[in-house]
Amino acid sequence: MSTLRPGSALPVGGAFDLVDHDGRPVTHETFRGAYALVFFGFTHCRVVCPRALGRLSTVLGLLGPDAARMQPLYITVDPERDHPSVMKAFLARWPGFLGLTGSREQIEAAKAAFHVFARRRDDPEDPNGYAVPHTAITYVIDPEGVCVDHFTDALSADEVAERLRTLIARNHRLNASEAGE
Amino acid sequence: MKTSDGETRVSSLERRRESVVAGLDAKQLAYLRHFDNLSRRQRNDWSFMIGRTPNQMDFGGYRFQLAYMAYALALTHVHRLPAAPGALRPTFQRLISKILEPEVWMYWRDSSKAGGIWNPHLAGRPEQWDPVAHDNIMYSAYVQSMALMYNVLFDDARYAAPGSLTLEYFTPFWGDGGKPGGLDRKFEYDQFSLNENLYWQMVRNGYLGIACEPNCVFQICNQPAIIGFRMHDLLKGGSTADEVSRGFRQAWEQFGGPVANNGHLYLYAASDTRTPVPNAGELPWGDAWYASLANTWNGEFVEKYYASVLGKHVLEGPDGTRTIRPPKPRTFGARPIENDTCDFGWLTVWASEMGDATTLEGLQRHAERHMRPTVYEGGRFFPRHDEVSDAEGNYTCVEPLTGNVLFAYASLNVPHGLRQLYEQPWAPGHFAEPNLAIVGDAIEVHRAYYDDARATLHFTAGVRENRPGDSVLRLANIWDRGSWELQRDGQVVATGDGQQVHEGRRVEARRTEHLLDLHLERNELSTYTLSWPGGGA
Repeated sequence: MSTLRPGSALPVGGAFDLVDHDGRPVTHETFRGAYALVFFGFTHCRVVCPRALGRLSTVLGLLGPDAARMQPLYITVDPERDHPSVMKAFLARWPGFLGLTGSREQIEAAKAAFHVFARRRDDPEDPNGYAVPHTAITYVIDPEGVCVDHFTDALSADEVAERLRTLIARNHRLNASEAGE
Repeated sequence: MKTSDGETRVSSLERRRESVVAGLDAKQLAYLRHFDNLSRRQRNDWSFMIGRTPNQMDFGGYRFQLAYMAYALALTHVHRLPAAPGALRPTFQRLISKILEPEVWMYWRDSSKAGGIWNPHLAGRPEQWDPVAHDNIMYSAYVQSMALMYNVLFDDARYAAPGSLTLEYFTPFWGDGGKPGGLDRKFEYDQFSLNENLYWQMVRNGYLGIACEPNCVFQICNQPAIIGFRMHDLLKGGSTADEVSRGFRQAWEQFGGPVANNGHLYLYAASDTRTPVPNAGELPWGDAWYASLANTWNGEFVEKYYASVLGKHVLEGPDGTRTIRPPKPRTFGARPIENDTCDFGWLTVWASEMGDATTLEGLQRHAERHMRPTVYEGGRFFPRHDEVSDAEGNYTCVEPLTGNVLFAYASLNVPHGLRQLYEQPWAPGHFAEPNLAIVGDAIEVHRAYYDDARATLHFTAGVRENRPGDSVLRLANIWDRGSWELQRDGQVVATGDGQQVHEGRRVEARRTEHLLDLHLERNELSTYTLSWPGGGA
């Protein structure tokens, strides 16, 4: 749990203007009405991304019907290599995930909006000779487009699922009370 | 855990009970007196605290001395003087005031420019003045943790007020600080805004930690921030400390964990390349400092690690003494690197935290023998001494942090004392118990605890010789508990009921608003019990 109560606006998350892995332009407005789970990574990532994407897939399974309200987004920090088709092929292992990419400038703007750290460095084990280490945090954008929580890579799938259930329930109660007023 | 003597560790509750009943011995009191003396020095009088390295760039800087004095006061309060907040709170406040002084943090104007021998590619960044806004966790975490710890320990939220932690520098002699619209050198924070800032820096850095100098994320320097987050959680609820510590552990796992191939903790990681830097010189501080603090949230690792590396740093000496391996000379090119490593001091603190009495007492015995313990104005400390060893080869180096603070900290600590403070410093109802709320400057408190089962406040106090100030003890949470009786050295000296004092026979006792004032005479130390025969309900 962050220093801010989950469910309240966090000082991260914001506008982005990218392209999805089918080549369609998308912005932060595109996903209004759903809970967007935003994760930054790159397809050549050997450890962190596969682990995080696998965990989020497990979370979606644990959520059952509530998973339909989620839109997991995987935003690349390596736009030079991660073109839409590359991302689509990479994400085939994790159904339901939508890959987002863009120009270097668009990606930098998205990183800045979410305060994501990622910087290219040499990696002799990579076919292209470099990797892009990045922070591994999943942000939750609520249906109104507000970032309401974030999860570290250290949380288990069960813990993440429970946090999401709590958020959904709180939102449901708020909506119900507003409807009753 | 077993101590090095093979004794099974006494439970923390039993240990805490033992330490509060025992109170403070003469040495411990004199250490506290030294803290108090340092805290009372006039602005920019840093006598006894000045280390080898100019400009506060080093591991022995004022910020560390002030912060670990505060931590030692916290340990003393929780484990030895739980019913005497008034004996410690004013000193704690003065230490917080001092850590906000420009002389403590202005090194950041230079450090923030980056570069140096480890990061030449970053040289030439614009100078920053705000020392807590970004990076510089080696300062900001201490302000954060001290302020929040103060609130937790004393139930006093003065540092939650907006602007209560203000950092300000002004000079009429240079720059444009006095010009309207000029460079702003006044930075207003409070314990929560500062905590929030550090938290989001942690998140943005993927929990690897916050840098000290730009691009240098030291493992050790992020430990006080985690302690601060825990203090925040104790005040406000939530689990920030758990989140950050788990994230921190996971982030360092990318390097295979916190320990490098040479069996010693990584010192730091470069944040731009995510490259960890090992403790190539196997410097003791690189292990002991981190572990002394990380025992709070990472105790299982720390206990195993202690067993694995202690023998690499500590040597057996004569008569049960313990000493440390002299450091290997370090150079950068042809230039020798000199700094206040505080190796001996941090190993002593670590031994105290781990409850390793044999090592702790051995190191202390060596210090008493070879490091010139000194008493000045009633305060006990070990004066700075730059020579590594004497003619006989005995380790003699004492840095100001070690001599002013770390030996005292180790003496005042109890086994796993910081861990207990981190987990739960007070039992529920602590702040409603009778206590010595305000202690006159002339009074020294040796012991103070409340025995709830017997509805009795025990305290031992006396008036210090040659110490100016008043000699009034002001007790809180005394009224509305029924009839009470105050004994001094076994003799009844005052009685009262739930509303007022009935009689004071050999002590001047008076109700002043919600407090009971006891005017102590300048006499020998006395032991007092204030008890409620009816149970104090």
